[in-house]
Amino acid sequence: MAITIASDEPEYARSPSLVATFSRRLLTDPVTLVAVLYLGLLCLVAIFAPLIAPNDPLAQSILQINLPPSRDHWLGTDQFGRDVLSRIIYGSRASLELGLISPLLAALGGSIIGMIGGYFGGIVDRVVGRLIDLLLSFPILLLGIIVAAALGPGFWNLVMALVLAFAPRFARIARASTLSIRNEPFVEAAVAAGVRHPTIIVRHILPNIAGSIAVLITLWISSAIQLEATLSFLGLGTEPPRPSWGNIIRDGLNNLFGSAWPIVSAGFAITLTVLAFNLLGDAVRDVLDPELKE
Amino acid sequence: MTGPLLEVEALSVAFGPKLNPVRAVDAVSFTVNAGEAVGIVGESGSGKSVTSLAILRLVPDPPGRIVGGRIRFAGADLLSLPPARMPEIRGRDIGMIFQEPMSSLNPVMTIGDQITEAVMLHERISARRRRALALEMLDLVGIPNPAERFLSYPHQFSGGMRQRVMIAMALVCRPKLVIADEPTTALDVTIQAQVLALMNRIRSTFGTAILIISHDFGVIAEVADRVVVMYAGRIVEQGDVRSIFRHPAHPYTRGLLQSIPRLEDDRRRLYQIPGSVPAPGARSAGCPFCPRCPDRLPICANAMPPMAEVGPSHHTACWTNPGASVAGAQ
Amino acid sequence: MTPPLIRLDEIAKSFAPPGRFGIIDRGRPVRAVDGVSFEVQAGETLALVGESGCGKSTTGRLILRLLEPSAGRIFYEATDLTALSAGAMRGMRRHLQMIFQDPYGSLSPRRTVAEIIAEPLDAHGLVGSRAERRERVMALLGQVGLSPEHASRYPRQFSGGQRQRIGIARALAVGPRLIIADEPVSALDVSVQAQIVNLLQDLQESTGVAYVFIAHDLAVVRHIADRIAVMYLGRVVEIGEKRRIYAAPHHPYTQALLSAVPQPDPDVRGRRIVLEGDVPSPTDVPVGCRFHTRCPLATELCRHETPLLREIAPGQSAACHYARPNPISLAA
Repeated sequence: MAITIASDEPEYARSPSLVATFSRRLLTDPVTLVAVLYLGLLCLVAIFAPLIAPNDPLAQSILQINLPPSRDHWLGTDQFGRDVLSRIIYGSRASLELGLISPLLAALGGSIIGMIGGYFGGIVDRVVGRLIDLLLSFPILLLGIIVAAALGPGFWNLVMALVLAFAPRFARIARASTLSIRNEPFVEAAVAAGVRHPTIIVRHILPNIAGSIAVLITLWISSAIQLEATLSFLGLGTEPPRPSWGNIIRDGLNNLFGSAWPIVSAGFAITLTVLAFNLLGDAVRDVLDPELKE
Repeated sequence: MTGPLLEVEALSVAFGPKLNPVRAVDAVSFTVNAGEAVGIVGESGSGKSVTSLAILRLVPDPPGRIVGGRIRFAGADLLSLPPARMPEIRGRDIGMIFQEPMSSLNPVMTIGDQITEAVMLHERISARRRRALALEMLDLVGIPNPAERFLSYPHQFSGGMRQRVMIAMALVCRPKLVIADEPTTALDVTIQAQVLALMNRIRSTFGTAILIISHDFGVIAEVADRVVVMYAGRIVEQGDVRSIFRHPAHPYTRGLLQSIPRLEDDRRRLYQIPGSVPAPGARSAGCPFCPRCPDRLPICANAMPPMAEVGPSHHTACWTNPGASVAGAQ
Repeated sequence: MTPPLIRLDEIAKSFAPPGRFGIIDRGRPVRAVDGVSFEVQAGETLALVGESGCGKSTTGRLILRLLEPSAGRIFYEATDLTALSAGAMRGMRRHLQMIFQDPYGSLSPRRTVAEIIAEPLDAHGLVGSRAERRERVMALLGQVGLSPEHASRYPRQFSGGQRQRIGIARALAVGPRLIIADEPVSALDVSVQAQIVNLLQDLQESTGVAYVFIAHDLAVVRHIADRIAVMYLGRVVEIGEKRRIYAAPHHPYTQALLSAVPQPDPDVRGRRIVLEGDVPSPTDVPVGCRFHTRCPLATELCRHETPLLREIAPGQSAACHYARPNPISLAA
């Protein structure tokens, strides 16, 4: 009995790894590079805030209210005499903490629910689908406000508000991606081989939707930062006197004719950070897109 | 009109970066005479589809480009025409039928509109006459209730019917040549029989020349008068259909014919050609089939065999052909 | 008497189009499989042939309960598969495996070949240690004609024929008694088809596995099958030993199907039965004999009464009121 040997069959080149592709993108696209560097810097600033900030962000001084920028106060002071630069530096912590944790938790929870719904179909999917639709029907800001108002201020309450706002969006994408992969022959092959459903979800579905989820995470980080700022601006977010870019703007609004520096600085900080995360998201999507297309 | 209808001479099409191009089609030459049916047969990677696209200058550029040779149709050199003139040729003088009728038909236009659009592009006649012409074509290709189906959308037709619609669209301006690229591959075998019978009927009724491309020898045998066998971008054998099937001269053609499962044959094991088709970038100086050839000679790995006569109306590019060394010396 | 390896008893599968939640159905149900019964013996190859929409792929999936039958029963030896719980059925999958049509889609793109082949082994707890798993994977690769260094690569690095070999290795891993091969060579080039068909035959000889070989290409089936079942619109219209079916089909559809296969012989041109019309939609199955709309022999009887599958020659059954050898006479 002869074994038929498949020799000399064409071998296709290994496509470069994700890390390699992303690094190449960084090197060739200056805009992305600047965005990544900025974000890296921002993270360092947030982590090492106590070491970097020249002054105590909470220290008030009646004698030094509304000062313009000077050597002691690079961005001046606000109506309570607090150093604006230090407040901006510490404010980055609030934005980044919330901005990173909320989307990650939302992605985790939302994806799991979306995958379960998309994979099992039937009544499970109907329930999941309706739940998603229900939560999606609330505008993000409104949902954030309602939850924050109901639960009161506080870091974890705010996280909860953002997670509830974002999770359905992740669930929807996870569900849609799962539905399309569910019908792929290789999933059917795994079922035919006798693999258990949870194993199939983790081993076959998850790696194939991870790309889309990763892109979404980067995009929602910038939304989370904006949302935190908005809620803080409305007084529902980070509790004063702890600085957050949002409540710096709020205080600054009351003091518009005293000094414009707090609002302008905080505004810039938010804008640059959101822009940087958006650019990062674009780069992530472009790197993952050829993968997704495969 | 004397002379062949279509003359392809040393056509070469390359893909990829300019510094390191890959030749999908390499010095391909063949002709199609008026009213004749020529079949191009080959497996994937043979370059047969790219050849047909090149004739109508439909090769996507980038990444592909025609890098050599000439294509003459009814005396005119197609490659030297300005690109803007090509749409006139397509449809009016040369019709094309593709493999996947669903993706070649616009899903949001009725088929009646699509056929009349084909007419509109090439002839200035009244709307009523256009419609009449379209209905005539639908009837000709065997669509029942043409007046009703005129208003239907592609998704309301079965695969076989859609392919007939494609044939109607290709023929509505009575082109002299129709290029059919794997026209029946996506169809069931009984529907395929219908479509092939239709193509033969059209040829005998209108005298249209057909260039049919397929990987299926049975389809080729059903339609073609002459056959061109392609391998790895080159023509390895061409000739009259009977000579090719009865006396295949090239080892690849022989191997391929032997490995086809046949209805009347009861062997348990199928013959298989050892090895596999070389990847497009990995071709060498000698004959592309050499690594897999059971009849190879020392010269085969180093020099490309010339196309030479091996019988009446039968040519092959193989060093085992006694005519080859004569042609090479010329 | 030993029971057959597989026995189908009036299996049926209908797909209801998804009705809007609470609102009327959008259409009639699709009767993909409409009462199919046959047996498969251990070690034999039964070919299931037919054109698109005949229900052959659906039947293959029903045997493995990848789809739940709407009616009928499936027996694996003496066990009624349709009566098993989901968990028990999962255990049965050890004995019943599948090879898929699409060499590109049926392998998980982000897993290595070794992981893909070992997956069924892990699912059924058949290997203990890493070393054992590795050994088994290497042995399987060798059986299908691949080499050890292929184990750590990804599917995208292989050609269609090679991917199909990987799929075959995966199916063989658990040592099944039956493999459903769903159009395993349709997506491959002719020369590669020959390799894979030969491989499947070699494996049958060495392991004794039975195949249900689903195909639309009657010429390929001729080489590998022992028995052939021809399906049309959800039912078996003819079934019998290969040689008899090819030499003397008794059902007009079988005869038309055989004659429609384009022969690589230019002198056979034109002497074929060309059926009129299209295959009816499975949502609108004709009353009476479902083939009567295209059958050149159809009579009033055919339009009203559904013919049953009955034995018309030893080892051959056909469902036709006028079954006889080569029923459609070819015009001279």
